[in-house]
Amino acid sequence: MADLLGAFEQAVLLAVWNLAGQAYGRAVLRGTQSALDRQASAGAVYATLDRLEQKGLLISRIETGTAVRSGRARRYYQLTAVGVRALNESKTALEQLWGGAKWPLESKA
Amino acid sequence: MTRHAPPRWLETLLQRCLPARDRETISGDLLEEYREVQLPRLGPLQADLWYLRQLLGFLAVKSFGGSTIRATLTWMSVITALAGVWLAVMENLLKHPGYPQRSAIAACIVIQGLATLLFLMWHGRATFRVIVLAGAVGAAVLGASAIIRDLNAPHFEGFVLLIGAALIVQGMMSLVVVGGARHGRAF
Repeated sequence: MADLLGAFEQAVLLAVWNLAGQAYGRAVLRGTQSALDRQASAGAVYATLDRLEQKGLLISRIETGTAVRSGRARRYYQLTAVGVRALNESKTALEQLWGGAKWPLESKA
Repeated sequence: MTRHAPPRWLETLLQRCLPARDRETISGDLLEEYREVQLPRLGPLQADLWYLRQLLGFLAVKSFGGSTIRATLTWMSVITALAGVWLAVMENLLKHPGYPQRSAIAACIVIQGLATLLFLMWHGRATFRVIVLAGAVGAAVLGASAIIRDLNAPHFEGFVLLIGAALIVQGMMSLVVVGGARHGRAF
């Protein structure tokens, strides 16, 4: 099994997955914030996208920008097969980890 | 005149912090958010502050790969540079005996803080490395001597202790981060 993804990495990857073909930086940031239900720093999200792309979990493509962004290009992200497998493995690992425990946990003290 | 974009200097600073590959796309994302959400919701001043916060976030995270020590060093450099400005202003307002020398020391603190920031922002450009390292030693020594003198002075001044401690921490961290950096590969 590959290294397990951190919670933040999973949130970013799931945001990309949920946005289908429309996952550019700003949309991923909003999707991540929504999934985590808190403000995430733009710098942290872009750094994570960059890292995940370097690890081969994401690929990106550049498209022409709109007028509201003064024509500056957008970078769209997409999960690779490796990225999908890493997400699936992370979910499976978590489920296995919690499998034997009765939820919610009760204090034994 | 109605403004529809963040101040140019903020945009320039942001682009300086970003790797060449992401300069256009990330600054475009932030411009889009600024125009579509922040400016209509907050007005120009607060929207500019929002943009500045994003810039500082990139300074701390994006440019330094999420390294806590580098992010901390960035903030320490900002704090010591501001402390230096404050010291220089106060010395020149109060004009106690010996103030020109202390103003010069304050100016050195500002220069060292700014040089460290520039080094971090320009991805370890070698030009600043020697200045930063020399300044780091100076800052640590200055901080230590200020604390020793403050502790032995008849009137203990808490702010001297704080600034002295900040200078020592920043100096030590600069030595670790900048001293261990290789040109072009550090960040």
